[in-house]
Formats: sequence, structure tokens, C-alpha cells
Amino acid sequence: MKKGEIVFFAACVAFFGFMLFETFDLLRQGRPGEVGSGLWPFMALAVSMLLSALMLIASIQKSIKAAGQGAQEVTAEANAEKKRARVTVTLSIVCFLAYILVMPWIGFILASLLYIFVFALVLGERRRWVLAISPVLMTAVIMGVFAKFITIPFPKGIGVFAEFSRLFY
Amino acid sequence: MLDHYLQALATVLLPQNLLAMVLGSLWGLLAGALPGISTSMGVVLLLSFTYSLSPMTAFVLLVGAYLGGITGGSITSILFGIPGEPSSVPTVIEGHAIAKQGRPAFALWVYLLCSIYGGLFSVIVMIVATPLIASFALKFGPPEYFALTVLGLSVVSGLSGGSMLKGFISCFFGLFLATIGTDGITGEERYTFDTVTLLGGINFVVAMVGLLAVSEIFIEAEEPFKEYKGGVQYKGMLREFPPFSLFRSYLLTMIRSPIIGTIVGALPGAGATIAAFLSYGEAARTAKREPEKFGKGAVEGLMAAECANNASTGGSMTILLSLGLPGSNTTAMMIAAFMIHGMQPGPLLLSTRPDIVYGIFVSMLLTNLLLLGLTILAIRMFLELNRMPYSIFSAAIMILCVIGAYGLNNNMDDVLLMFAFSLIGYAMRKFDIPVAPCILALVLGDMAELSLRRSLLLSGGSPLILVSSPISIVLLAGALLSIVYPLIKKPKMLQGL
Repeated sequence: MKKGEIVFFAACVAFFGFMLFETFDLLRQGRPGEVGSGLWPFMALAVSMLLSALMLIASIQKSIKAAGQGAQEVTAEANAEKKRARVTVTLSIVCFLAYILVMPWIGFILASLLYIFVFALVLGERRRWVLAISPVLMTAVIMGVFAKFITIPFPKGIGVFAEFSRLFY
Repeated sequence: MLDHYLQALATVLLPQNLLAMVLGSLWGLLAGALPGISTSMGVVLLLSFTYSLSPMTAFVLLVGAYLGGITGGSITSILFGIPGEPSSVPTVIEGHAIAKQGRPAFALWVYLLCSIYGGLFSVIVMIVATPLIASFALKFGPPEYFALTVLGLSVVSGLSGGSMLKGFISCFFGLFLATIGTDGITGEERYTFDTVTLLGGINFVVAMVGLLAVSEIFIEAEEPFKEYKGGVQYKGMLREFPPFSLFRSYLLTMIRSPIIGTIVGALPGAGATIAAFLSYGEAARTAKREPEKFGKGAVEGLMAAECANNASTGGSMTILLSLGLPGSNTTAMMIAAFMIHGMQPGPLLLSTRPDIVYGIFVSMLLTNLLLLGLTILAIRMFLELNRMPYSIFSAAIMILCVIGAYGLNNNMDDVLLMFAFSLIGYAMRKFDIPVAPCILALVLGDMAELSLRRSLLLSGGSPLILVSSPISIVLLAGALLSIVYPLIKKPKMLQGL
């Protein structure tokens, strides 16, 4: 975690630093004697960068201290479990992003059907009846409540997918 | 005056008005609980139905939707960790944590009883002290608003868990996020990088759904496969009914929170979200019993937030009826309802249409009582969702989150922004950076900045204006105390290590 923490706080410092750099333009604008639009974000970003830098230094110090004490042994089981968790989270994130990106092309209904099925698989669901019935049921309920009753204009998709979506909403 | 109340009671109890009250409340509960619709949207959707109704029936219906929406927002917050309403975010933090500890019914009871108590408290205050609250709210100028937001932000120490440094990083990040978009005073674009999506700023519902709900699903995805959502098990509502002694032991919170809610609700533009956060923060700051539980399932935090967000309804309605000012988005929609029926809310309303004003008072009182029963029905309905397979349940929550973000402006850019926030939220959780201060700052940041700059414009740049009134001095002193005191008490908190 120490290595991850160092990377995370280094990224924070870089992000806040970049935004702070962008703020200098805002500070130059505005009328003299008035508080312009740059002061408030400048204060927020400067403090954020400073605190992130402090956390980065603290993380590096901790890492050096831990290295001096020698590495703790990690069992193969714990390693495998950690790897499994990482793979599942990564796939969950990729799945969710794909759902969002694909929706405008294939429409809300098909995207949701596919997403529920794939996401359940990623989470470890293997019961066939759950994988077969739930996506259809869930999509139908969501469509009924949000597209029919509340009339949210969900993306319909393009071409043949739009034709398909128009059958339902 | 008693005549007015009796007459109003007789009118509200007419069958068509009672039906409007039940339907309005049920619709409000549903709108509040579903992430895609806000309370204000719920009220707007009902507006078109009120054209054909008598004014009294129309207002009974709208009041039902308003109170139901504020109350219902917390059901999904506790059960699924999805805030139905922005004002339910503190409820997600504490209520959902209690539910995950295996006591959802207990959390739901605490929420329900506190909500109804807060709502009733504010209605009674509204009836008794309408003129007083209205005149107090008028004393708030930009310096007082700034002091109020600083007090709100100063509760970071209470929300930071073990490390105040990490809490402050989260808070200042939230303050930065609040500056993205078009500047409210000069009209300059800030950090939009020439994108249209960011011109209007970051909607905090989008940020909140990503930071809180979606990131939690990612965190839970790390756990080994489970057939059902084991964290939230329903043991029966009656068995988990909280004892009276529980509320008595948090007497100070039970007294203070509805007062905060009513007062903040009466401040124009503040509303239930700020009321809930301020009250929650105060509870976190002054907690004597188990302060370490804040952020991990503190009953006191849940009580404070729920009392305050429902109490804000009375405050908001007070200034709407007495001054014609909207205390929240939803009461702004109510102004439209008054206009539809040929009325103008404000000082003259009480003399020109006392039947409507007293009718609203009485219907708010009765709706709060009615909500006690209706919410239990709604809870039972939502609890059934817990029986779903966990994998499907998680997918459904993700889709609801997408709908929540998409439904704001009906565009996918908000959904992509929500996805970005979910990644940020995931990283923050992984590195123990509390999410609550970031959301608090995002909510309060805009008001803090604008009120500071307006104050300085008024004073010609002199910062002394910020301490020129007793109200702002008291509020700023409170803020200073709440930051300094925990540091003196626990200096290690500053280290964050």
C-alpha cells in the first residue's frame, strides 16, 4: 500500500500543481482593487497541493522506515486473493465504462440487458437461472418506471438499434 | 386566530383534500427515494395536475409531495447507500453504515422517527414564530452567509476520522471542484477547458452519486462472491424499534438539530442539504459519546441529519409564506403554484388569503403524521429489493446511479462525469481519504466564495466587514473553535499518519 500511497499523493501534487498553474491566468484578470475569480480557487488549490505534498513526504518516510524493518512475508493465498480482487474491480470498472460508452449507440435497453448479465458474471454469479431471468426482469422494471412512467428520454441508439428501442419507448 | 385554524382543519379534512394528501405524500416518497428524481422535480411534475384543482387541494397535494420527498430520500440512502436526495448524503454515511452492520430496520426507525419529529418541530415553530424567523433571516447579508458557510466547513475535523490532514485535502479539493464552471460574479470560465459540460459547474448530485454510491460498489466488488447482499439483512421492523432512552441519551442533538434545520431552512437559498450537513457536522463536532463512530455508523449523526433536513421544510415554507422568498429549490417551485392560482406569496398573503396560509400550516402538520404510516409502507416495499441476488442488485444500483446522473439534464456527459467521480471516490476510499468533507465543500463552496466576494465588494475590499456584525462574529468564533479544539485535544489528528 505504501507504494500505491506514494503514487497517489504524487498524482495529487501533480494535479493540484497543474490546476494551480492554470489559476495564474485567472489571477491576472479582473479589475484592480476587486477580488477576482482567481483568488478563491488559488487558495483552495495552494492548500490542497501543500497538504498533498506533506502526505507524500510522510508516505515516503513511512516507506523508507518499513523497508528498513524488512519486508513482511505474504502468503501465496493472500496474494492470489489480492490478485482476484484487483481483477474483479478492474473488470467492474471496464464493464461500467463500456456500458456508458455503448449506450448512445445501441440504446438503453440493450445496453442495460448486456450490462446486468456481464456485470453479474464479473462479480462471480454462475447460477444460470439468475443470469437468464434477472437481466430481462430488471430491465423491464427499470424501463417501466423510468421510461414509461417518469418518461426519461433514454438514448435510443442508432440505426437498427433505434428502431428496436422505439418499439418500447 | 383559532377560528382560522379550525376552519383550515375542516377544509383540509375534506375527502378530496385527504386524498390529495395521501397521493401527494406517496408520490413524494417515491420521488425522494428514486435517484433519478429530486423532490423539486417531483413537485414540478405535479404542478401541471394542479391547474384543475381548487387552490387548497393543490397546495395539500404539493405540500404532501414536498414533505414526502424530503422524507423518502433517506430510504434508499440507508438500504442501498444511494442518496435519493442531496440532503440525504449524511444519512448515507451513517445510516447505510448502520445497515451494513446488520441493523437496517433500526437505522430506518431512527431515520423515520427523527424525520417526523424534525418535520413536526419545524411546523410548530413555523406556526408560532413565523414573524420572528422571517425577520431573523432578513438580517443575513453576505458577511453572515460567509460566516455560516465557514462554520459549515469547519466541521471537517468531525468528518475526517483519524486524519485531519486527509480530511482537509478532501475538503479543499471539494472547494476547488465548486469553482469549476462560469464564475457567478464576473462570468469568467474557470477550469472548463473549453468544454460545454463544465460551463454550468459540477452538479453535486453527479459528484455525490459517483463519489459515494458507485465507488462503494467497486469497493464491494473486491469482496468474494456472495449470493445475497448479506450486509443488509432485514430482521423485522418491530424487533428493531429503538427504545425511548436512545433519543433521551442524545437529547442535545434532538433539540439542536431541528432548530438548526428550521433556521437554515429559513435562509433563502440554503435548503435541506445545507441544513442536514450543518446539523450533522455540529453533532460530529460536539459528540461526547462515541465520536470515533462518525463516518462508520453513528446513530447521533443519523439523528442530527434527519431531524434537520425535515425541519428545514418548515423554515423554507415560513419565508415563502411570509416574505415570498424561496428557501429551497422546491419552495421556488411552489411560487409557480401560487402564481398558477392567482396568488403572490409574501407579506400580504396572510391578510388576503388566510385560508390558504392556515390551510398549508394544518396540512403540513397532518402530512407529517400521515408520513409516519406511509413511510413504513414504502420501507417494506424497498426492503423486498434486498431479497434480490447480490450480483443483480449491484448491477441495478449501478443502473440507478446512471439514471440519477442522466436524469439531471438528459445527457451522457453527466454520466461520464459521474464515472470520473466514481474513480476518484474509489481512490479516495482506498487511501482512507474521507469523502464526506469533499461533498460538504462542494455543497457549501459556491456560497462561501460568492458571499466572501460580495462582502468584499460591499466594503471596498476591507476584510473587516466579515466581523462587522454580532451574528458573523459568533459564527466565525464557532468555526475557529471547532477547528482548533480537536487539534488541542488530539494533536495527532493533524499528522494524519
